[in-house]
Amino acid sequence: MANELVNVGVAQLKIGTSEQMLRTILGSCVGICIYDRNKKIGGMAHILLPEASGSSQIEKYADTAIPALINLLLKQGCTKEFMSAKIAGGASMFKFKISTALGQIGERNIEVTKDILKKAGIALLCEDTGGSTGRVIDFFLNDGHLKVKAGGVEQNYYKV
Amino acid sequence: MQEQIKQRLENIISTMTQLPSIPDVVSRIINMVNDPNVDFKAVAEEIAKDQSLTTNILKLCNSAYFSKGKEIVSVDRAIVTLGLKEIKDIVVLVTCRNVLDKPILGYDLAAGEMWTHNLTVAILAKKMAMDIKRKDLADIVFTGGIIHDVGKTVLALYVANTFKDIMKVTQEKAVTFIDAEKDVMGFNHQDIGLKILEKWKFPDSLKAVVAYHHNPENSPKEFYKAVSIVHVANIITLMAGVGIGGDGLYHALNPDAVKETGISDADLEKYYSIVPEIVKQAKQI
Repeated sequence: MANELVNVGVAQLKIGTSEQMLRTILGSCVGICIYDRNKKIGGMAHILLPEASGSSQIEKYADTAIPALINLLLKQGCTKEFMSAKIAGGASMFKFKISTALGQIGERNIEVTKDILKKAGIALLCEDTGGSTGRVIDFFLNDGHLKVKAGGVEQNYYKV
Repeated sequence: MQEQIKQRLENIISTMTQLPSIPDVVSRIINMVNDPNVDFKAVAEEIAKDQSLTTNILKLCNSAYFSKGKEIVSVDRAIVTLGLKEIKDIVVLVTCRNVLDKPILGYDLAAGEMWTHNLTVAILAKKMAMDIKRKDLADIVFTGGIIHDVGKTVLALYVANTFKDIMKVTQEKAVTFIDAEKDVMGFNHQDIGLKILEKWKFPDSLKAVVAYHHNPENSPKEFYKAVSIVHVANIITLMAGVGIGGDGLYHALNPDAVKETGISDADLEKYYSIVPEIVKQAKQI
């Protein structure tokens, strides 16, 4: 079955149904993919930074985007017990001075993302994170699998 | 095979015929505008000779990013309202688009992805220059941002065949992607970009941006600040994943260049956080 491609831009948050495939491109940002295996509905958040610190742009930050994504899914009739998460991204510059805050963003994004998922009670099933590669990720909502293309190599994560 | 590629690239560079072309009017306008004694009527006349250039310039002058509110219907009016430097930026934008919005296969960039990346770097770099009160550099870093990766348009074909070798070199020698490009193919996309700008007869300031945006430390002193601004804007844009390709983040963020811009750590993060808004502006151009 052909999947309808839906692009998720930087600092965007989208949900979709089983015939759709959500795609985003990541550097130091993290893509959070949550799937309800019972309803076959899923969503993706593409966050830039870990903490909103009062900003109203909730899609940009892990600590506000993840709860918003979960709420959107709950509104569609999804339940937390059937939801699970996969995350990707959080790359860092290959070479940077450790004292430069910009260099830490990828790692901070991963850390806070995991923390927020844990607090929300969503199981994290797999991650393709860190390193210095850019990633194109495709999240297939018919079965919840995630395809990660990084540096010309494809990797599939099927667990839901 | 690597020897063959080196030879072929040497051949491309020495003959120049296979390097991309843009209309001669572009370098004429850039050099006129860079002349302190320029006569703006002469620039307007030069532009007016090319009808499609004129149409495209007027379209951009009235776009959300460049517009100053009132509708602009003539090149004369555009120069008065936006200024010569901004008109020159628009001329480069209009004429380079055909060269830069194609798919860049070896680097895994789909059609338009590099163009959006270039515009994002250009807008971000210009904003940085304005914020650090260096309005005098705004046009160089904007135009430089647009064309900084022009070398990729030629090198991509060869990177497609050597990508695995290049990645292997980055791992084994712990060097950046562009150093590995040079190791494997004899040239990196900065070297090729410089040759393209020589063909286009662009000024030294823009050559410096193209040739050293990953190695600002090697830039001629007089252009160091402009090169550093584009370097930082490029890294921030890549980190946000905008136009990130197969080379990923296998690059270096140069701490001395950051220092040269005078941008604080907190502000770097602020610039990174506004990339989504800048991409939106870029897509309106």
